[in-house]
Amino acid sequence: MYLIEGILNHKQACALLFVSVCLWGSVMSARQATAAAKTRHGSWQQHPADAVERGRSQFLKKCAFCHGREANGGSAGPNLMRSAVVRHDENGNLIGSVIRDGRPDKGMPAIQLTSDQIMDVVAFLRYRLAESDLRSPKEPGPEYSGAKLLIGKVEDGKAFFYGAGGCSACHSPTSDLKGIARRYPAVELQAHLLYPQDQHLRATVLDSSGKQYAGVIRFLTNYDIAIDDDAGWYHSWPLDAIKLELKDPLAVHRQLLPKFTDSDMHNILAYLETLK
Amino acid sequence: MKSIVLFLCAAPIYAQGLDPGALLKPPTDTWPSYNGDYSGRRYSTLSRINEDNVRSLTLAWAFQAHQQELKSTPLEVNGILYFTVPNHVWAVDARTGRQIWHFQRQSEGDDIGQRGVAMYGDRLFFGTPDAHLICLDARSGKKIWEVEVADVKFGYYISMAPLVVKDRLIVGISGDQTDIAGFLDARSPRDGGLLWRWDSLPKPGQFGSETWPNRDAMAHGGGTTWMTGTYDPELNLLYWGTGNPHPVLAGRVRPGANLYTCSIVAINADTGKLIWYFQPSPHDTQDRDATETPILFDADFQGRPRKLLAQASRNGYFFLLDRATGENLLSTRFGPENWSAGLNKRGEPIPKPEKEPQPAGVLFEGTGTNWWAPSFDPDTGLFYVNAYHHFAVTYLTRNGEDEAIRWRRDSPVGPGEAFVSVGAGILTTAGHLLFTGDNAGDLVALDPATGGSLWHVFAGGRLTGCPMTYELNGQQYLLTAVDSVLYAWVLPREAPFAAVPPSSHVSDLETPEFSEFFQLRRPQKRR
Repeated sequence: MYLIEGILNHKQACALLFVSVCLWGSVMSARQATAAAKTRHGSWQQHPADAVERGRSQFLKKCAFCHGREANGGSAGPNLMRSAVVRHDENGNLIGSVIRDGRPDKGMPAIQLTSDQIMDVVAFLRYRLAESDLRSPKEPGPEYSGAKLLIGKVEDGKAFFYGAGGCSACHSPTSDLKGIARRYPAVELQAHLLYPQDQHLRATVLDSSGKQYAGVIRFLTNYDIAIDDDAGWYHSWPLDAIKLELKDPLAVHRQLLPKFTDSDMHNILAYLETLK
Repeated sequence: MKSIVLFLCAAPIYAQGLDPGALLKPPTDTWPSYNGDYSGRRYSTLSRINEDNVRSLTLAWAFQAHQQELKSTPLEVNGILYFTVPNHVWAVDARTGRQIWHFQRQSEGDDIGQRGVAMYGDRLFFGTPDAHLICLDARSGKKIWEVEVADVKFGYYISMAPLVVKDRLIVGISGDQTDIAGFLDARSPRDGGLLWRWDSLPKPGQFGSETWPNRDAMAHGGGTTWMTGTYDPELNLLYWGTGNPHPVLAGRVRPGANLYTCSIVAINADTGKLIWYFQPSPHDTQDRDATETPILFDADFQGRPRKLLAQASRNGYFFLLDRATGENLLSTRFGPENWSAGLNKRGEPIPKPEKEPQPAGVLFEGTGTNWWAPSFDPDTGLFYVNAYHHFAVTYLTRNGEDEAIRWRRDSPVGPGEAFVSVGAGILTTAGHLLFTGDNAGDLVALDPATGGSLWHVFAGGRLTGCPMTYELNGQQYLLTAVDSVLYAWVLPREAPFAAVPPSSHVSDLETPEFSEFFQLRRPQKRR
């Protein structure tokens, strides 16, 4: 993610991806996205945090002037995240001599650092590699700044809530949404308002003997349905042997998703954020 | 010189390996390459299993790999199957499912998937998570050579199945972890030596460099080549899809169309030179690789016979091109999206700048597909693809008369997970059948004309690979990979199995000679 630093920091970049996850809707649950991220992140073995911090401090003093504060390139020195020496280094075996001897042919002077200090710089660079290589979808934590999300207009959001959005047909700021902004950080509230994933599809089933069942759907395939009835018992049927009625509590949200403009989304979030 | 001598010495044994001519024929008793043939259509002329008898499909065998999910399409050559997961290759008896050998080599690097091997004579080739290319002896699974294709420390890895074209291995690479440059290699089956390399990104001053803001962004701009492409032997052109630009989402640091990322390219198979390109996603900021199989077929388009190339791209567009010239004949969406503002004069979607990722979030709607194989059925003239947003099997006609979706099979919504993206490939056959897997985990055979369901079975998980089929000893086998299990399906034999003496099933027999004796005593033992 180093290329976008200066425009966006790393966490913001991750959050951008999250938005696409929750809106694709549909494509992948956040949990799956996180699992996918685990299989794809870099495998940079990390040094202890105190070594990383000592290394960062040394780097800022002795290296950042040329290589940039985050080691991703500066006024005179190359981006070290793209350095084969840095990426192939094992415990300073490659970086060490470059620091000690410099690279006179490329204009890099020898840097006065002790062996321990060099190891700390190596720890910092490892840390930066892991950070810059991590670029798969990742849920932004609740700490993601709400201020960045709140670019909408409260009044327009309220108008949408009671008007075009039709939200007030099911929701009320004085009952179910009372204090909603306290219950969720802004970034989660944004995900919830678009697609509240904790709502379950319900079914009513009329079997061949005329008996009726109702409950939450366990699975619904092209051929079979299974529910947990309201007493908690599991039932399943082939679809061709029953009459089925589905009740989708998210139907309105689904219908709304393709109709939302970006402004609608930002405005409604701004309005909901006032419901503290 | 030594390797050449070895090569020549080994030549007579190739008679037992893959006949190079098989690569130019429709796959019947042999499935010699990732897609079965160069066209990428994944259509089999076999029809023993057909719409009338598919309901009686029965299990021939199952192979449990005890590894991560199988995404590879097995090759089948002379009664032996060859398939992979990252770091592993198996040779398995195509009739019985019994393992012949298993090659394993652990490595660092991304192990998200492995699509399979390529075969040349009696040699197999596969790529590794640390971006090495390995050659194995197909008889024994013993390693013959290994070369590094790219540097794993920069996040390169190989997941694609190489493609054999004449006496070359065409090898692509993967990687999204850092900002890297994509390329496509032709390498020697003899020793893995580089014969040519096509770079996905132009050099300063070359055509396409004007689609990048500066030298640095262009040198690290992505465009990996992580899926097996197709090949037209008459035109001697390779057709390859390229992946997303780097950095993946942050488009503001790379203004421009970013050639040749998210592109379909035609490359001379002998020289590695670019002949034409078409870019499904200019300036992509949503990770919409255009690596999906570019399927080749010939048909009339608007009354004129054409050599065609069709791709259902990850960005939700279906493209039809003239594969000799790259001329765009048709670009049409196969599902809803909100990120494009129409098409440019080349028939490429124009991305809306306001739909690039923003800190406050941008509402993005799309339809997409991914690496799982599409299929073109010459009998129906339809192109099939599994897509998400909705699980949809869609088609577009080969002659462009009807640009609409004729049928779509929506997968029901499961609780809490909405529409989970599918990963199932498609196979069509002359038996008037389409095999795939649905979102709910059922393996299905559908009527390719209507989408109606003809057969289904839940085999314990989702179809993770692409179905394939072959004929062996008068039986047609259908293979489906479900998680780490490979299932082989056949029709029941017309004659019942020859009666086998029950004694041979007694598991506690020590020596077969005493079978009758033990048989007599067996009831007593069970008491």
